[in-house]
Amino acid sequence: MDKNLNTSSERKLNCSDESKCFELLESILDGEETTASKEILDEKLAKCQPCFEHYHLEKVIREVLKNKCTKHMVPAELADTIRQKIQEIK
Amino acid sequence: MSEVQRKKYSDKEKNSIFDHEFMPHIDSMYNFAYRLTFDEDDAKDLVQDTYLKAYRFINSFEQGTNAKAWLFRILKNSFINEYRKKSKQPSKVDYQEVETYYNSDNVDYSMTSDLRVDAVKDMLGDEISNALNSLAVDFRTVIILCDLEGFTYEEMAKILDIPIGTVRSRLHRARNLLKDKLRSYAENMGYDTDEE
Ligand SMILES: [Zn+2]
Repeated sequence: MDKNLNTSSERKLNCSDESKCFELLESILDGEETTASKEILDEKLAKCQPCFEHYHLEKVIREVLKNKCTKHMVPAELADTIRQKIQEIK
Repeated sequence: MSEVQRKKYSDKEKNSIFDHEFMPHIDSMYNFAYRLTFDEDDAKDLVQDTYLKAYRFINSFEQGTNAKAWLFRILKNSFINEYRKKSKQPSKVDYQEVETYYNSDNVDYSMTSDLRVDAVKDMLGDEISNALNSLAVDFRTVIILCDLEGFTYEEMAKILDIPIGTVRSRLHRARNLLKDKLRSYAENMGYDTDEE
C-alpha cells in the first residue's frame, strides 16, 4: 500500500492556516497554480491531516462532476437548422 | 458587441471560421443551454440564437483567440437578456438570498465538510446531476464552466464579466452548496457523515 496515503499518524491534526491552505489547494485542483505547486502540495498532504482530507474531498467532487454529469445529446437536426438559418441571413 | 464593425473577413473566411471554430462546440453549448433552461426547446432556441449572433458579429471575433469562451459569453448574455425573464426558474431571487446569506467578498475557506470521499464516489450520475441542477443559476454556471467545460478562472471572468476574485469566491461557495446537497443525499443513502 502507498505509504503516503495511509500513514495519517504522521500528519498534524490541526492545520495552522486552514483558510489559506484550502484556498491554495482548491486553486491547484482547478489548475490555476503552476509554480512550485507540486512541492507545496506534496508537503501539505504529507504533513497536515485537514489539508489531506480537504484535498481528497475537493478532488473527488471535481471528478464526479466531470465524469458523472452526463452530457445531454444534441438534437440531431439542430446543426442543420442553424446552417439553414445562416444561409437565410447571408 | 457593436453593430458598426470593420469588414475583416471575406465570406469564405467567415464560413471557414464558423465551420471549423464555432460549430465544433455545439455539444458543449447545448449542454450548457440545457443546464441553464432545463428545457429542450428553450435550449435549442438559445443555442440557435447564439450561433446566429455569432455569425452576425463574426468580425468582432479575433481568429486564434478562444472561440469556445467567446461563444459561451454570447450564450450566457442571451440567456440573461431573453430567457431568464420568461423562465419559470426563480433563480435571480434565489441567488440574492444566498448572496445575502453569505454576505461577503471574503470567503472563509476554512469551513470543513464531514462529507466522505467514499460516499461521493458511490453516488450515481443522477444524484450528482440533480445536486448541480438544484443550485441557483449563478452558482450552477461557475461549476459548469469550471468542472464540466474546463475553463480557466480568467476565461470564466471574461465569459461572466466579473473579476477573477469573484470567480474564485463564487466557485468556492458553489462547491460548498453542492457539498451540502451531496451530504444530505449521503445521509439518505445511509452513510454515516459524522466524524468518527
Ligand atoms: Zn493544512
